[in-house]
Amino acid sequence: MIAFEHVSKRYGGRFDALAHLNFRVARGEMVFLTGHSGAGKSSLLRLIMRLEKPSRGRVVVAGHDIAQLHASQVPFYRRQIGVVFQDHQLLFDRSVFHNVSLPLEIQGVEPREAARRVRAALDKVGLLHREKALPVELSGGEQQRVGIARAVVNKPALLLADEPTGNLDPQLSADIMALFEDFNRIGTTVMIASHDLALIARLRHRILRLRDGRLVGDEGAV
Amino acid sequence: MKRSSPRSTTTPSATPRQATSRQGGAARKRSLAKPEAAAPDTASRSGARYQQTRFSSRLRAWGRHHRAMALDSLYRLVRHPLGNLLTMLAIAIALVLPAALWLTLDSAKLLNTELDESATLTVYLDVSVDEAQAVRIEEAVVADEGVAGTRRISPEQGMAEFQESLGVDDTLAGLEDNPLPTSIVIAPQTVDPQAMAGLAQRLEGLAGVDEVRLDLAWVERLRHLAELGRRVALALGVLFGFGVLLVVGNTIRLAVESRRREIEVVMLIGATHAFVRRPFLYSGAWYGVGGGLLALGLLGLGNYWLSLPVAALAASYGASFTLPQLDVTGSTILLSCSTLLGWLGAWLAVTRHLTSIRPR
Repeated sequence: MIAFEHVSKRYGGRFDALAHLNFRVARGEMVFLTGHSGAGKSSLLRLIMRLEKPSRGRVVVAGHDIAQLHASQVPFYRRQIGVVFQDHQLLFDRSVFHNVSLPLEIQGVEPREAARRVRAALDKVGLLHREKALPVELSGGEQQRVGIARAVVNKPALLLADEPTGNLDPQLSADIMALFEDFNRIGTTVMIASHDLALIARLRHRILRLRDGRLVGDEGAV
Repeated sequence: MKRSSPRSTTTPSATPRQATSRQGGAARKRSLAKPEAAAPDTASRSGARYQQTRFSSRLRAWGRHHRAMALDSLYRLVRHPLGNLLTMLAIAIALVLPAALWLTLDSAKLLNTELDESATLTVYLDVSVDEAQAVRIEEAVVADEGVAGTRRISPEQGMAEFQESLGVDDTLAGLEDNPLPTSIVIAPQTVDPQAMAGLAQRLEGLAGVDEVRLDLAWVERLRHLAELGRRVALALGVLFGFGVLLVVGNTIRLAVESRRREIEVVMLIGATHAFVRRPFLYSGAWYGVGGGLLALGLLGLGNYWLSLPVAALAASYGASFTLPQLDVTGSTILLSCSTLLGWLGAWLAVTRHLTSIRPR
């Protein structure tokens, strides 16, 4: 599903945020990406989302070198990927329902069908009863679950998450991770950047370790 | 990209390519989520119809978003009535000035054609010419190709007209001899000054013709003035049109800035530039519509305000003259121009601004 081939990313010509990355993630795999802050986890996810292009090497997603996508194709590429952000990236002037339906709105899904899918996604994350609430009325954990619902409402084949449990207590974090495992079980490829080592270790999935932009560990690969 | 097999449309590996093809979101997503369930059977059996329904559903979605954004931007406009009304008023004022000037010129043009109709040459014959000779000379004049029509005025008729216009019967009656010559008033084929001058020269060469009067200078002056006015109006129109662009552009720029976060988020989850641009384009168009309507209102108000003194002034000259008003065509043109300008201003502002917005 994802292949990094000799990927380096350099910002401003000073230092390599990522250097000589080589790894593959198979379809349907669940992978954790870990390392201390500044190790390059977010940069790596940004490369997959095609928010940036690698300075060297190729990032291949679903068989395509995504650096070659034309700017006008990028939006359509991004629609194939569900992303959960650490800071949720919710719109605070819209209800939970409308936040989750945003990707479907962008794709022009017919409203009744969209509503059905939004409710299914909200049901999955256990927030169906809060669909009319505004994001500010929700707790941090609930906001994160709204973000997850929005990421999966489209049933993407690839789900990325950047520190999805960043500010949550252990119990909530475990719940969130369990959600991701559920999605992985139905065939979604999941990649989660997290520095919550204790939690990750318990979950027994493949772990990619980054240090100073280099891949220093790849454990539990199938 | 090239390495993927042609059949790969059935697998998620083809997503970026396929995503850009004219297929609906649902089909794309399904092929991604369930690779094995995808295209081959549908494509082989009813591919064309499938494509067509995909296309029409895409078209429907597009129309739906347009409708939604048109209403949404209108709603946003109505929610902050005062500020938006001021923007529209600025647009209206910028439109009223050139439009009013244009209207004035239009009425001048109307006057101009009346003047053209009254542009004539007068041929004065020698006093010694008698009526029979005068008739022959008139025939010769009519034979000229530049002459459209003639009217012969005998000395007696001339005297009568003169007296009438002076309103004094007795003074002239005291004259022993009628001092007036026979004159022939000529309506020329064209009012082109050069052609008329040539005609005058030819007529002067006729025997028995004393003098040809041709006073076109004022017609010419008026025409130059009208041309000057037209150019000023055009320049003002262009200038104020730019003004409208700037007003709308600036307003939209602020709107984009205030919704920056929203734009970043929707771009993160796959919104195209067109999608992001759409609500702002509608806002710009609404500003244009509002400004155009206000401009029409202002023009009507100005007309009402000026009509009384203008009518009184015209009456004092013994003429009847009403201020020109924008007819349906004119109003439509003004309204479409302002709408187009609003839309264009928004387009420029958003496009310029979108390049600076990158999702984080």
